[in-house]
Amino acid sequence: MLPIDAAAHSNRWRRRHPLDKAVLALGLTALAVSLPAWPGAPLVALAALTALLGPARVEPRRLWRAYRVPLGFCLTGALPLLVQLGGDGAPPGLAPGGPAEAARLLLRTSAASLGLLLFAFTTPLSDVLPRLTRVGVPPAVTDVALVTYRFTFLLLDTLARVRQAQAARLGHTTRAATWRSLAGQGATVFLRAFARAARMQAGLAGRGYDGTLRVLVSGAPVSRPFLAGSLLLLAALAAATLVLERLLP
Amino acid sequence: MHIAEGFLPPWHAAAWTAAAAPFVVHGARSLTRLVREHPGNTLLLGASGAFTFVLSALKIPSVTGSCSHPTGTGLGTVLFRPPVMAVLSTITLLFQALLLAHGGLTTLGANVFSMAVAGPWAGYGAYRLLRRLGAPLTAAVFTAAFTADLVTYCVTSVQLALAFPDPAGGFPAALAKFGSVFAVTQLPLAVAEGVLTVLVIRLLTQADRPALARLGLFTAPSGKDGRSPEEVAR
Repeated sequence: MLPIDAAAHSNRWRRRHPLDKAVLALGLTALAVSLPAWPGAPLVALAALTALLGPARVEPRRLWRAYRVPLGFCLTGALPLLVQLGGDGAPPGLAPGGPAEAARLLLRTSAASLGLLLFAFTTPLSDVLPRLTRVGVPPAVTDVALVTYRFTFLLLDTLARVRQAQAARLGHTTRAATWRSLAGQGATVFLRAFARAARMQAGLAGRGYDGTLRVLVSGAPVSRPFLAGSLLLLAALAAATLVLERLLP
Repeated sequence: MHIAEGFLPPWHAAAWTAAAAPFVVHGARSLTRLVREHPGNTLLLGASGAFTFVLSALKIPSVTGSCSHPTGTGLGTVLFRPPVMAVLSTITLLFQALLLAHGGLTTLGANVFSMAVAGPWAGYGAYRLLRRLGAPLTAAVFTAAFTADLVTYCVTSVQLALAFPDPAGGFPAALAKFGSVFAVTQLPLAVAEGVLTVLVIRLLTQADRPALARLGLFTAPSGKDGRSPEEVAR
């Protein structure tokens, strides 16, 4: 399994209704994007981190491993903001407001990413996908997404086995061998994916498959106290940001 | 090259979502029609989506000594066509955001536009053009993968430049800045993905030519089980 999905399946908030967690986590992300980055983003990041490491009990090491991915993009993406290429033939130089804008961007992206990670670390995709039809996603697309989700882990497992077998046969020793092995991985995964799909189709046909994949969805109810608490927290964060923005330099 | 969560200002994120929406809706209608015609297509399309996701997990050796990941859209668009790829890539991008923290939900529209719409359509256009001109399959496939990758990177640079114009030089200077920062990794990656895609297609041609024929890469062989008449005669 992928680390974030494995963590989500064993998370303390796993049994909560996805809507509970979506309102809190995606609400934090929306606030991070829409409020002024200073002081909004640090407040949102603090709230998201508290929820992640506190009630949701996500392992700090796992969180860091997932968090450094968007952080890497942010750092690279913020670099161009530090320089200006100059107009009217002026030489390139440091942009006057560049460091401040880069810092605001880093703050905003860091806070928004923590909101997304709060949702990802507490809600397995298998809980979200069957419910997407209720928000207007066509059932055919939801079914394809569900099959994609199940197949992904099988194919990742296949890929890991093929890679291991190639390594055991010195398939990664030279650059040419590495390229051959890579192509072998891609082709094998393609063939296995279609072979598995054909086998699954035959199996489902034998069980009266009519085009609809019926899966059990956990019947956890939406918690009104949790929703109310989340909305209160979001409102408090928005209000605190707007007040502090006037008070702080 | 996924734009991270929260990187784009809200209006830009909304505008790119609106720009990508018609393509995804059109793709969703095509996909629904395919499934309605033959329910078994759900499994085939699901397998194709997972294949696209797993392709992006392959590690390509990079010029800098580190590893990069292919987008997989070039191969996907040649095999499954751009409308279906728009939906499959959207699903893949959603999975990458929630399972790998690559990309995000507010930036999903922008990432879908560059990776699921612009890249695949450009790649497929190049592929069709070359095939019509009589180019060999390998040349057409390389160009499709290279173009899809390069267009994805160019569109992402445009998206970033529009969001963060240069204080002195405006949009063109910002485009030059973002383009040059990401070109270091993306240009070699586009070539590498083109080479890899050709190698995969060559292996697939040897291993399962009938499957590629069913997907329209070759004229379907008339023989039993997809074998050529000569093979059946033997």
